[in-house]
Amino acid sequence: MASEMQNENPTILSSADLPTRLRASVSHKNSTYGSEFFAFALPSLTDGTVKFSDNSPSPSESESDDDLMEEPIDEQEIFDLISTISDPEHPISLGALAVVSLPDIAIKPSLPNVPDSPLRTVTVLITPTITHCSLATVIGLGVRVRLEQSLPPRFRVDVQIKEGTHSTADEVNKQLADKERVAAALENGTLMGVIAKMMETCQ
Amino acid sequence: MAAPNTVQIPPKLTLTLLSDLTPPSLERTWLTAPHPTLPLVATCSSDKTVRVYSLTNFRLLSTISGGHKRSVRTCAWKPNVSGESVLATGSFDATVGIWRRWDSYGETMGWRRQQNSDPEASLTEGAAGEVEEEEADEEEEEEWRFAVLLDGHDSEVKSVSWSASGMLLATCSRDKSIWIWEDLDDGDNNFETVAVMQEHEGDVKSVAWHPAEECLASGSYDDTIRVWREDIDDWGQVACIRGHGGTVWGVDWEGLETGPRHSTEVVSGGKEEEEWKQWHALSGPRLASCSHDQTVRVWQRQPKAQTSAPGVGAIPSIIRPSGTDEIWEEGAVLPSAHVLSVYAVSWSRRTGLLASVGADGRIVVYEERFVATSQTEAMDTDSSPAHEANPSQHPLTEWSIVAVVDGAHGIYEINHVAWVKRADRGRDESTEEEVLVTTADDGSVKVWTIAR
Repeated sequence: MASEMQNENPTILSSADLPTRLRASVSHKNSTYGSEFFAFALPSLTDGTVKFSDNSPSPSESESDDDLMEEPIDEQEIFDLISTISDPEHPISLGALAVVSLPDIAIKPSLPNVPDSPLRTVTVLITPTITHCSLATVIGLGVRVRLEQSLPPRFRVDVQIKEGTHSTADEVNKQLADKERVAAALENGTLMGVIAKMMETCQ
Repeated sequence: MAAPNTVQIPPKLTLTLLSDLTPPSLERTWLTAPHPTLPLVATCSSDKTVRVYSLTNFRLLSTISGGHKRSVRTCAWKPNVSGESVLATGSFDATVGIWRRWDSYGETMGWRRQQNSDPEASLTEGAAGEVEEEEADEEEEEEWRFAVLLDGHDSEVKSVSWSASGMLLATCSRDKSIWIWEDLDDGDNNFETVAVMQEHEGDVKSVAWHPAEECLASGSYDDTIRVWREDIDDWGQVACIRGHGGTVWGVDWEGLETGPRHSTEVVSGGKEEEEWKQWHALSGPRLASCSHDQTVRVWQRQPKAQTSAPGVGAIPSIIRPSGTDEIWEEGAVLPSAHVLSVYAVSWSRRTGLLASVGADGRIVVYEERFVATSQTEAMDTDSSPAHEANPSQHPLTEWSIVAVVDGAHGIYEINHVAWVKRADRGRDESTEEEVLVTTADDGSVKVWTIAR
């Protein structure tokens, strides 16, 4: 990739501090960054960078959901899908870099006026590590591709740069929202090589 | 303002699924182009092929493959060709292919997969420029012949369009350019580059030729629509239309023969219609566009007579558009019906109905009607000479939604819509009935009837 690093010293969160349902596998994969199994329940060391929101579903709640609906896909599951993607520049996950975070993921009905429509829009706001990071488009594309390949087709994926975190956010957002450009990117061998490398760390 | 007759709800139309085109592509399909004369359509797919289906039995007739290295994004049939069908295809591989086939095919029953290897063979010959029409032997008559590859764009080709005469082919790309090629029709498949226009500031998503004149419209990632004409040997931009708040995915021209519909109680051929026709004759066919901003809009050209008319109200010469420049204004923003990107719009050249489709999986059909005006007011403007001085005044019209189908292709996004003449056995032969053809992300192509 880039010969010079855009951000040589990113802030890295311990993977143990990241919210996940995939505790065992994630801590195993990122054992270099701490493998404390129950750190999940401890307060965040970085003080607020990644917070556990109180309204995130407790294990018992989601289990009862499982009984009612088949395979509900919630924000936590989306986070688990994308937090393990590696940064194209560092061998560090997007979750650990806080490029993606649970509170910045939302799932909403795509057609609010059609109550029985199964379409859902997943909105992921990504926070580039530095405001002029030219890799923001590649990271965003990686997140979009990962979700499009993992989620059922009734999900519409909307990946945007979080407001105020990037100098050319509008430009990047427009590209990421353009279905035709994304489709063409998927046929671009060089670009897909980079994306595939980012996803090597996903299970 | 609200006279009793404006309250009435226009009769709704019913869209009914007539058939799927089978077998479908297993990958995303982008666009389905209706043949200008035969009951055929061509569907472009991400699997790098184009499928040609019959509209009489909705079955696959042939598959054009081997010409493109990446997704085929777009295609268009050349009009005004006799005895032969000519198809232009545009691909993410940055090239445009020209394909030919004798129209006798389909009349013989032998087309079914008997000469599987032929497309490859003719592809090689075509690439070397050695295929002569006279040389085509009987086997080749049954197959698509790869005629020529138009090379010039730097990146993905997004749209191709033939002019009404069939003489000119316009192609556009993510490289922000529009190329105009002249088909020399010299029997040797030679195309000449007539113009390369690079004014757009982003991907050019769509090109469409005026229904009669050599005038081109384009829609772009830069959120604008531009209109292009030739002025003494030089192609150039004559208008840049701003208004959309996002990528303009598609543009389509109004036909020459259609217009707004009357409220039921107004007799057709009345004064409104006369006035509208006069205005329309000066203004010319309008443009429809659809965008990522979730809207569908109609644009109209200020009649030429107005800008050249001297005297009262004339624009000071310093800002008066010179030469071929045209002023286009927003005629209408159609009633909001989409909640995600609108990918395609199609303006029926027979009925004047507009149809749009998009990422929300909806098909929406719109109808334009005259708005009933108070008689006295109308009389005043009619008898006044001011009417002559201001030909842009015309009877008010209003667009309304007359049909919506949710989830027309299940959960999938719909990439394209087109009006096509109905050709199956169920058609009413006394009318030139049309059907809608929609093309979706899962590879499905569906044919819909529309009834009042």
